Amino acid sequence: MTNHWIDIKNSDCILICGSNAAENHPISFKYVTEARKKGATLISVDPRFTRTSAKADIFAQIRSGTDIAFLGGMIKYILDNRLYNKAYVAAYTNAPFIVGKDFSFKKGLFSGYDKTTRKYDKKTWAFELDEKGVPKMDRSLKHPRCVFQLLKKHYSRYTPDKVSRITGIAVKDLKRIYKAYGATGAPGKAGTIMYAMGWTQHTVGTQNIRTMAIIQLLLGNMGVSGGGVNALRGESNVQGSTDHCLLWHIWPGYLKTPRASNGSLDAYNKKYTPKSNDPLSANWWRNYPKYSVSLLKSFFGEAATAANDFGYNWLPKVDDGVPYSWLDLFDAMYKGQIKGFFAWGQNPACSGSNAGKVRQALKNLDWLVNVNLFDNETGSFWKGPGMDPAQIKTEVFMLPACVSVEKEGSITNSGRWMQWRYQGPKPMGNSRPDGDIIMDLFQRIRALYQDGGAFPEPIRNLKWDYLTDGKYDPHKVAKEINGYFLKDVTVKGKAFKKGTLVPSFTYLQADGSTSSGNWLYCNSYTEKGNMAARRSKRDAVNGIGLFPKFAWCWPVNRRIIYNRASVDLKGEPWDKNHWVIRWTGSKWIGDVPDGGWPPLGSLEKPDPKSKWAFIMRKHGHAQIFGPGRAEGPFPEHYEPLECPVEKNLMNPQRVNPVAAIFEGRADTFATCDPRYPYVGTTYRVSEHWQTGLMTRTQPWLLELQPQVFVEMSEELAKLKGIKNGERVLAKSARGSLECTAIVTKRIKPLNIAGTVVHEVGFPYHYGWRWPESGKEDSANLLTPSAGDANTRIPETKAFMVNIVKI
Amino acid sequence: MSKSFFVDTTVCTACRGCQVACKQWHDLPAETTQNRGSYQNPEDLSFDTYKLVRMKEREIGGKLQWLFFPEQCRHCLEPPCRDTAGQPEAIYTDSATGAVLYTANTRGLNVKEIIEACPYNIPRASQDGTLAKCDMCVDRVKNGLQPACVKTCPTGAMNFGDREAMLAMAKKRLKEVQAKYPKASLLDPEDVRVVYLTAFDPALYHEFAVASGYASGITRQVALRKMAAPLTRWIRALG
Amino acid sequence: MNVSRREFIQITGATAAGLAVSGLGFDLSPVKSRAQMLKTQYARETVTICPYCAVGCGAIVHTGKRGAGRVINIEGDPDHVINQGALCSKGASLKQLAENEKRLLEPMYRAPNSDKWRTVSWDWALNEIAKRVKATRDATFTAKNAKGQVVNRTTAIASVGSAAIDNEECWLLQAMMRALGLVYIEHQARI
Repeated sequence: MTNHWIDIKNSDCILICGSNAAENHPISFKYVTEARKKGATLISVDPRFTRTSAKADIFAQIRSGTDIAFLGGMIKYILDNRLYNKAYVAAYTNAPFIVGKDFSFKKGLFSGYDKTTRKYDKKTWAFELDEKGVPKMDRSLKHPRCVFQLLKKHYSRYTPDKVSRITGIAVKDLKRIYKAYGATGAPGKAGTIMYAMGWTQHTVGTQNIRTMAIIQLLLGNMGVSGGGVNALRGESNVQGSTDHCLLWHIWPGYLKTPRASNGSLDAYNKKYTPKSNDPLSANWWRNYPKYSVSLLKSFFGEAATAANDFGYNWLPKVDDGVPYSWLDLFDAMYKGQIKGFFAWGQNPACSGSNAGKVRQALKNLDWLVNVNLFDNETGSFWKGPGMDPAQIKTEVFMLPACVSVEKEGSITNSGRWMQWRYQGPKPMGNSRPDGDIIMDLFQRIRALYQDGGAFPEPIRNLKWDYLTDGKYDPHKVAKEINGYFLKDVTVKGKAFKKGTLVPSFTYLQADGSTSSGNWLYCNSYTEKGNMAARRSKRDAVNGIGLFPKFAWCWPVNRRIIYNRASVDLKGEPWDKNHWVIRWTGSKWIGDVPDGGWPPLGSLEKPDPKSKWAFIMRKHGHAQIFGPGRAEGPFPEHYEPLECPVEKNLMNPQRVNPVAAIFEGRADTFATCDPRYPYVGTTYRVSEHWQTGLMTRTQPWLLELQPQVFVEMSEELAKLKGIKNGERVLAKSARGSLECTAIVTKRIKPLNIAGTVVHEVGFPYHYGWRWPESGKEDSANLLTPSAGDANTRIPETKAFMVNIVKI
Repeated sequence: MSKSFFVDTTVCTACRGCQVACKQWHDLPAETTQNRGSYQNPEDLSFDTYKLVRMKEREIGGKLQWLFFPEQCRHCLEPPCRDTAGQPEAIYTDSATGAVLYTANTRGLNVKEIIEACPYNIPRASQDGTLAKCDMCVDRVKNGLQPACVKTCPTGAMNFGDREAMLAMAKKRLKEVQAKYPKASLLDPEDVRVVYLTAFDPALYHEFAVASGYASGITRQVALRKMAAPLTRWIRALG
Repeated sequence: MNVSRREFIQITGATAAGLAVSGLGFDLSPVKSRAQMLKTQYARETVTICPYCAVGCGAIVHTGKRGAGRVINIEGDPDHVINQGALCSKGASLKQLAENEKRLLEPMYRAPNSDKWRTVSWDWALNEIAKRVKATRDATFTAKNAKGQVVNRTTAIASVGSAAIDNEECWLLQAMMRALGLVYIEHQARI
């Protein structure tokens, strides 16, 4: 989230699309309700009427996988009716930037597409630069090749009629939604988006969110209170685990995993440190080497020296242009290329899309280590449905982790708040904190490498001194993540002693004199103490619910990021009532500002001491035109890989031309196939969590939602002769699932370009291990191995199925 | 000063935190349920389920509504169950809070008669004939804590406090809600300590949402008259 | 830990233990309720953050000071600025996550082609895992890729998880996996 949970109360219009907050983030509705009681409009757009929809002022049923059409139509509406905040758009976004002459968009393809590699050459998407190397701009937004004019042209095709025919939403409902949300373009008004996996789990996931980001920028909703682009993250610490980069492509703090071509630390830093020639661009990532070197110092401690590139080459590198993501990992495992596997606090046998393939892949392993609170479908895959243990060679180690209330440490919520939690009871039985298990295991591995082994340096040199009295000590790790001064140094006129904690990332250095396990968390555990453990209920001076001394949030406790865009050029807030920051004439007050520089003053003669508002962007401006994305700088509607329509009504390309698609034996797909006539989607319910391992083992929660189900319209049920509450079989090209039919008024047949399309939906919380009946299994047995072109997140939100009576 | 609940169904999201918080605080076991084609589970209140969020899909004025009704004992000001039982060691009203409380001594009473006396169809018996229902978390309340269901409610659907304050809150909220839903009403506010606000006809939420829906068309007034006989028995029992 | 109680409500005309007084001499404890004393009265209080979704709600854990020292009650933390005491159905059932008879309490091992689990010691399990890691890593370690570039990795070991462990644990886990040379490192954020 660019904003945070409490801030939702400051919104004038809340769009919940691609999420179901009332069910999956129930406490968010404390603030949604508060906003509504003050007059805010709540809009729910979903493939079915949910508990969120039940509270909404406006509800529209959308066909899964058509969000870009829906949102693209909103962009057109905002532009046609001049609802955008022109001063904001001209000053803070790249709308005035001039795009090169060779950029084009024809027949659903942007310039530079190569059919054989299914990739774009992005060079024609670049901005025109002036003689100093700064992008050329037309702040009047009139230049025919400026981003604003290209945007208008691109979305001129997204007429209400066409959008309606794609999405299934009636034209009058579209207009009602566009009008209500577009009204937040008025200065002082704020609209917010609450989205989640309903937008990310598509072959166009990244561009779904880009489309909304464009809307938020046009309406001046970024950086302001009650606004923002708010991903409602699904696990208690998925924000923290992402920040610390348990992901193949990034290192802690969103640094890049080195590619094989980045042969030295210097080459690596040069490659990933952006350069701007614009003195008004803060270009924050110019600090990249300070963060990468400090990270290496945290990895390898004293063993990391300038002479050995701080241990840079001790860390693994990935091949250029080769992905190692979830889908690729299980594809490699399916092909027998992976021998050993850790499933640590995760249950891929149920959570992975095309779960049948995942389960088969596990058979190819030599060994599997499964660390969890409960036995699960991954650890016990060898005795799951259709498995013959005698034929499965995989050795499995199942390690009992303790429950969160039995250990100490921090987690980071969706609003980027790092919060400390304490130990209540001791771990039950012989279960142990994950941290304890990790510390212990690595010590044992390291011991084996004292007598040699392949490339032992990183194993011998990894800094691993986080025990106190022989036990894992979370405070020691939290301090390492924050970082230390490793020498007596003077930075920015302040003297710091060796061994003290670094007060914030602005003090980190690229010469090895500081360490920081994650620069974004530098400021979280300082000489003043553990910031995440703070509990003050006093609000900030602006009274908008920031609670700056309750817990801690990254970066540097800034509660609303991009907040320099919440003010006009003079530093006056757009919204006088719910202001985030304000320039007093000499300093900023309110939230921690996105840099302390004075306001711009004017666009004609900006204060040379000032900086453009979006400090993380190379050119200092938010990207309406996003030339870095895999499938193009503007989002375009493409159909899901499996879809019910022969043609994309928006352009001749049916599916995302660069989507991640797997084509092995286990990766079959069926589009417009009469065997699988209905659109399927997956979701969660309030009473269960993720694959359900931590909820379907609980009698109280199982009582509320005891069985996997499929929701369908009364019309479809009638067509198939299915009665409410009876068990039916759902089938896709990949697998089948027995489930209970919920026949409901909350799903209606959709009118898609004159044709009736039925959609059904499944919660994915179940698995054969629990409940003990063994009859409830994962909806991911149905979902496809296809993914987003940028993130490779699987398309589990839109696929094709059939439903049959048993 | 007596206590009351104000339940604003217009902001209830059926997250069912209240339903579980009730079981958690009272250490009540889960029931074995099955999906009957509805999110609502268990199907009904029971000896082990004092609080149940009822869920109904209704098309009202051409618009779909999913109506949520977090049901529990209403803690009547003049509870027919108590008066039917006529045994204060089994069913009594706590003088400090107004909570209507059932004790283990309900075992052996005429359970059927007591259940039938309830205009809201709340009491449930165990196999051995003991009765149970919501106890207003009177242990928490006496120790200065909100009832578990109120404490856990995120949206302000569940409220609890001094009766006058709750009635004032209910009336104020009714006015706000009526601006959008002219048929909104408070359910039996003068007779019960759990005052519901519904946006639509209460019968659309639940058969026993209001006392007028009492079984076999008997009105609450008739039900109250039925008290007379057991009352005599109650006095006799004490004597 | 000092946890204030802003939800405190006023009871007039009654003391904390007032309920037992019926005047009639009967036990008037409501069925399945401890009217006179809170079950949390003599428990130790700690604060925690809910382990389910990422709203980050605060909860209070009441742990018994006597006996097995297990969880007696978990409910919303009224002093937490986000949830202010509220919890959804999952949060409200947290006690049952901790006090759950289905939990794994011992390391277990399943041998190749076996149809059953065998309980093992931590020592044995971690030593055996360490041996497997070393054997697989040493057998598959790639110092240079096909182009001759230094890569220092193994693609024969993979790791997934976890968004369900603490920040400090996440950091340690990624450090360990990267030091071992893994590149297949993924977790919930990817799916």
